[in-house]
Amino acid sequence: MTRDGRSLIAALAGIVGARHVRTALPERITYARDGLPTHRRVPGVVVLPGSRDEVIAIVRLLAALGVPFVPRGAGTGLSGGALADADAVLVVLTRLNRILRIDPRNHLAVVEPGVVNVRLSAAAAPDGLLYSPDPSSQTACTIGGNVAENAGGPHCLKYGVTATHVLALEVVLADGQVVELGSLSGEPWGPDLVGLFVGSEGNFGIATRITVRLLPIPRAVRTLLADFAALRTAGEAVSAVIASGIVPAALEMMDQSCIRAVEDSVYAAGYPRDAAAVLLLELDGAQESAVAADAETIAGILHAHGARSVTVAADAKQRERLWQGRKKAFGAMGRLSRDLVVQDAVVPRSALPDVLETIARIAGAYGLTVSNVFHAGDGNLHPNISFDGRVPGLKARVDEASGEIMAACIAAGGTITGEHGVGLDKLRYMPLLFDGDALAAMRAVRRVFDPEERVNPGKVVPVHACREWVGSVNAERGTRNARADVRSDFRVPTSALET
Amino acid sequence: MTERGGFEGLDSCVHCGFCLQACPTFLATGDEADSPRGRIELMRALEAGELAPNDPGVALHLDRCLGCRGCEPVCPSGVSYGRGLEASRALLAERRGTPPLVRAALAALTGTGGDMRATRLVYALARALRATGVPGKLAGWGRLRFAFGMLAATAPKDGGRRWRSVEVGGGRPRANLHRLPPPSMTSPVLLFRGCVMQGLFPHVHAATVRTLEVNGYAVRDAPGQVCCGALHAHAGLRGEARRLARANVAAFGAGGDADDAPPLIVVNSAGCGAMLKEYGHLLHDESDGVGQRFAARVRDVTELLAERGPRPGAPIDATVAYDPPCHLLHAQRIAAPPEQVLRAIPVLRVISTPDAAQCCGSAGLFTLVEPEMSRAVLQPKLASLAQARPQMIVTGNPGCVMQIGAGLAAAGSPIAVRHPVELLDESYRAAGYYA
Amino acid sequence: MSLVDRVRALLGDDAVDVAATHDGVPRVAPASPDAVALLLGTAREEGWHVRIEGAGSWLPTDAPVDLALTTRRLDHVPAIEPQDLAATVEAGIGCDLLRQQLADRGTWLALDPPGLAGRSLGSVVATATAGPLRQGFGSVRDHLLGVTFVTGDGRLVQSGGRVMKNVAGYDLTKLAAGGFGAFGVIVLVHLRLRALPRADQTLVLEGSREELAQVSEDIAAAAVQPAAHELMSPALARRERWLLAVRFAGSAALVSAEETALRAATGGGGRFTPLRADEAHALWMRAAESFATRPVTFRIGGLPDSSDELLDLLQHQVGDEWISASPGVGAIRWGGETTVDRLRRLRRSLAGLEVPLTLERASWPVRAAVGHFGAYREGVGPLVAGLRRTFDPAEAFVVAVEGAE
Ligand SMILES: Cc1cc2nc3c(=O)[nH]c(=O)nc-3n(C[C@H](O)[C@H](O)[C@H](O)COP(=O)(O)OP(=O)(O)OC[C@H]3O[C@@H](n4cnc5c(N)ncnc54)[C@H](O)[C@@H]3O)c2cc1C
Ligand code: SF4
Ligand code: SF4
Repeated sequence: MTRDGRSLIAALAGIVGARHVRTALPERITYARDGLPTHRRVPGVVVLPGSRDEVIAIVRLLAALGVPFVPRGAGTGLSGGALADADAVLVVLTRLNRILRIDPRNHLAVVEPGVVNVRLSAAAAPDGLLYSPDPSSQTACTIGGNVAENAGGPHCLKYGVTATHVLALEVVLADGQVVELGSLSGEPWGPDLVGLFVGSEGNFGIATRITVRLLPIPRAVRTLLADFAALRTAGEAVSAVIASGIVPAALEMMDQSCIRAVEDSVYAAGYPRDAAAVLLLELDGAQESAVAADAETIAGILHAHGARSVTVAADAKQRERLWQGRKKAFGAMGRLSRDLVVQDAVVPRSALPDVLETIARIAGAYGLTVSNVFHAGDGNLHPNISFDGRVPGLKARVDEASGEIMAACIAAGGTITGEHGVGLDKLRYMPLLFDGDALAAMRAVRRVFDPEERVNPGKVVPVHACREWVGSVNAERGTRNARADVRSDFRVPTSALET
Repeated sequence: MTERGGFEGLDSCVHCGFCLQACPTFLATGDEADSPRGRIELMRALEAGELAPNDPGVALHLDRCLGCRGCEPVCPSGVSYGRGLEASRALLAERRGTPPLVRAALAALTGTGGDMRATRLVYALARALRATGVPGKLAGWGRLRFAFGMLAATAPKDGGRRWRSVEVGGGRPRANLHRLPPPSMTSPVLLFRGCVMQGLFPHVHAATVRTLEVNGYAVRDAPGQVCCGALHAHAGLRGEARRLARANVAAFGAGGDADDAPPLIVVNSAGCGAMLKEYGHLLHDESDGVGQRFAARVRDVTELLAERGPRPGAPIDATVAYDPPCHLLHAQRIAAPPEQVLRAIPVLRVISTPDAAQCCGSAGLFTLVEPEMSRAVLQPKLASLAQARPQMIVTGNPGCVMQIGAGLAAAGSPIAVRHPVELLDESYRAAGYYA
Repeated sequence: MSLVDRVRALLGDDAVDVAATHDGVPRVAPASPDAVALLLGTAREEGWHVRIEGAGSWLPTDAPVDLALTTRRLDHVPAIEPQDLAATVEAGIGCDLLRQQLADRGTWLALDPPGLAGRSLGSVVATATAGPLRQGFGSVRDHLLGVTFVTGDGRLVQSGGRVMKNVAGYDLTKLAAGGFGAFGVIVLVHLRLRALPRADQTLVLEGSREELAQVSEDIAAAAVQPAAHELMSPALARRERWLLAVRFAGSAALVSAEETALRAATGGGGRFTPLRADEAHALWMRAAESFATRPVTFRIGGLPDSSDELLDLLQHQVGDEWISASPGVGAIRWGGETTVDRLRRLRRSLAGLEVPLTLERASWPVRAAVGHFGAYREGVGPLVAGLRRTFDPAEAFVVAVEGAE
């Protein structure tokens, strides 16, 4: 380690205490992956601040030294977003896990970024409230990570993704300046910078305080399980449900290989093993009679579209079991094979039946196993490819097939990621979706928040694919950013891009 | 032993992170290196030779694992964390040897080397010290004072001072309410005595025998039995664990009549039970699956009792918190039977705190060798117990009785910790079963 | 070459209307997103200052510029997908036309912005003006799946898309929504739709503001989930007293169950009067249009439990003649006549309460003095300035984002 490295470590230890700075290789190795194990980067240093003030002090220190850094929540991200290189500091936010305020009258909560998603709902439950975005990883992931990824979840079909529920943020910018974005009411003071920050994958700074909306726990709920003999019919049933105009709280699909993985796990939910696909639907609302009527209608639609059976969860316990099976399905994939490639494309919902068939065909052509478990109501597909990375040449085949699947989804009018983010993993698909101008615009926006591109470098925007962005204007003004020169005072950012 | 020594159990980990919040050490530090997922990463690197077993960064975090296996039941991929951990600890022990403190503790508590004389003496001295009442008074947070608290927590308690048995039906003669099953219907079972249980909790063994008899089991002894080997296995001393396992297999071997199926083996320590049930894995390469067959016969005392109901006893008017031992709930996946046992006591109110399923930090020798982490893990449990205010805490593992007991004593709480069969025993006594 | 000739050469003769504006600024109506890009690219080269207009019915078209760019010819509807409950539409289309086209396909955009019926969709998005339906369906941004906009230097930037969820890249859509055109001309909008509700019922209750505030509390506390829940001032509602209007939309079963729950929550009996469909339509339309007829309109974002206090403050500082408030959300819209000084004072008082005031419409002098947003919080100003410079490097757009304070 260099002298600089040592003094950096000493300075970090001065802020958080030596025990919260991790430098030993084994310790750093444990931070080398997130929820998507196909990417691996060993961070240079890991630091675990215990308060927002410590975060600010760390960021200021790193700004002064010009050291890149990466925020990390629980590390359940599925795009390699929370990985840091050897020249960067990983700032782990798990210790910032206090729920600062729950305001039952105004239906809002203020939390630190390291609060685990499900714990907020648990804390709000006595007031009859819940935090609606429920990524399947909710028992593990942090709200900070949810904000950074704009996480979705089964119930986002009706209630909206994370962005809908974030009202205000306190953000530490790359230079250590603290800004407050948004207001408790959600009405921004100026342009909607909260909306812009949500989903920025850690590129715009570290969220240190998050104000979210809470919703009343629905009084009436019906959970339906429908099983189908063919994937295509299940896809068609999804379209039919959407077209009916009834908005289910959630509408999820699992195919056979996924069903079996779940049924083999501790989260066995009683899904029929012989079904080609099951749909898990939930209807909820404040009015029992209306929810009951909707459930009848939906059951009718499902039957009419080829459901072999439709069962309604008898009680809260069974409902919980059905949901646990779904939410742990991704984890259960480990049973299928050693390695897993996770995809996250979104297609128009009416395209689902065709796209599902196309995916199966591509997988077949490459001789691979694909398991589908996804937010069907949103058209958000997760075709996961299980494989054994030890087999020579297999990983390359998987990558090729993934690319083809992605291209098919884009051709159907879709996008490359609906909730997992771009991170490292989907950088290569970005140019398929955006032209050079759009990419350059994104990069320029990022440089407004972080002129040196020091926060979570190398993620989201594939730099090589950006068109140059108003370079001449900046030359005129002489405010071109120099990447190497580092200052800790905040500069009014420019729109220059390095070419 | 399997070809890869248990590491293969880690293969299915997909890095999803569902185990993080179930891990008491991760909750205490927030550090991935103290999480199951992080440790799996370390263990994989160990197996691959990427990290050396004598790397202090590896040892620190593997040593700090409680081995509570709270991470296993939440894992959708069915990762066998415990097996991977034992394999890794074996590697570690091979390379760096066993720390002297662990050696000493093992010798004192389990009689390593088969010499039980010294061990008997240790326990006798401990009991004598306990009887003076001094340890209870000295209990506190320091290493030594905590140990005193642990010793004090093992003392037999008679609940009479804290609560009353309730008279039912205006004092009908209780003996008439219940009748013991006729001897012809009893099933024979063999009691596993263990070392700490035998040394410090003989009263629990007595209660086990009595309550099982009320429920139609005839408890017999299996001479020649030794320590289960759990502490050795956790310390990475696989060879010793296997030796002990073989001795136990022999001791419990025939037991019944030659052509009958051999009797079940009953154990009242969750930690020992979990180990005995692992004999199949431990003795994997022994001839014709003796370990497997042995493991299949092992039952926790609450399992046997629950199978027979158990018979209801006399009411006890008290509120107790049930705290499931990790080695019962996570390792053996036994959740309902202990509660069924408690439900056999009328009027008794059983509450459960939100983090009941989380480890108390006892974890065998952990509390001795990793005191700081152990106490950090215990703290949240003490806090939620303080909030729930039970009159007593019930848990079926000697380590947990001692750990929680010592923590409560250090915190100045008068709440006692007991084994569920002790409570059932008291209820049966009041019901006149033993009259 | 004069500006007009230059533009004619670029976009064709019929793209320019010289005499149309009252201030004599040439109005250019590009017929396609590419034409918008071409025009703005040239504007940057020439150093022209541009104001963006939609139908010209909401924001006064009075900013001092070299040319006015109107989106009124960008009125195509490339796609309405009832199966997907999504639509892609050009930003210049009038809300009334769009609503009709959507209804013909059995779909609905659950937005009821203030303003005249023919107001352009782009202006609704650019100013993020949601109406009473925000209670049940959220603010403008919640209805957007993506937008395409043209920057001040003529680049076409696409963000989002026509699928329900999208996190590919940063969410520039959020910047366009409510950016008041400072970052670009919105040319294309991808919308999230809902099925046309089978039943749509509005019920009203007249009373003093205090009485109605109490009823509102009861509604909020009960399990009633209205699509709209609006407290309107007498002038706005054209009634003697304040009016509480509650709207339910959805399936027949839902609406009737909600109505029952509403009555149960508010003391049963016949307190609320149901309106006939035409009466309800008239009520909501009139309320929406009224705001386009006042000289000044602004909105403030309070919290449900501060609604009352904020109404008092408004009454005290600027009067409460034209008010529409969503007590369940905390948002209040105000319309009327007032001065720059009063607006500034009010904004300061509100800032003390952590409540933002967004100036929605006013004449250019007022806008220029007060700004749509006023002063930013610490550290936010440089960010907004940086973003503006990014998207409009030559400062082609004339927008009073910040005030002159
Ligand atoms: C089994 C499983 C199921 C999943 N299901 C879903 C699902 O249904 N829906 C869904 O949307 N996602 C899902 N995910 C993905 C993942 O859980 C989410 O992306 C989640 O939001 C990540 O949170 P985290 O705390 O783990 O963040 P991390 O993975 O630690 O970080 C993710 C990104 O956020 C940044 N970041 C973290 N904290 C902050 C902060 N405070 N400020 C700024 N940037 C920050 C990091 O730099 C990184 O780029 C799933 C993952 C798994 C493993
Ligand atoms: S829950 Fe299982 S699969 Fe997931 S990270 Fe933990 S051990 Fe690995
Ligand atoms: S055994 Fe217990 S302490 Fe060890 S990793 Fe698993 S949950 Fe954590």
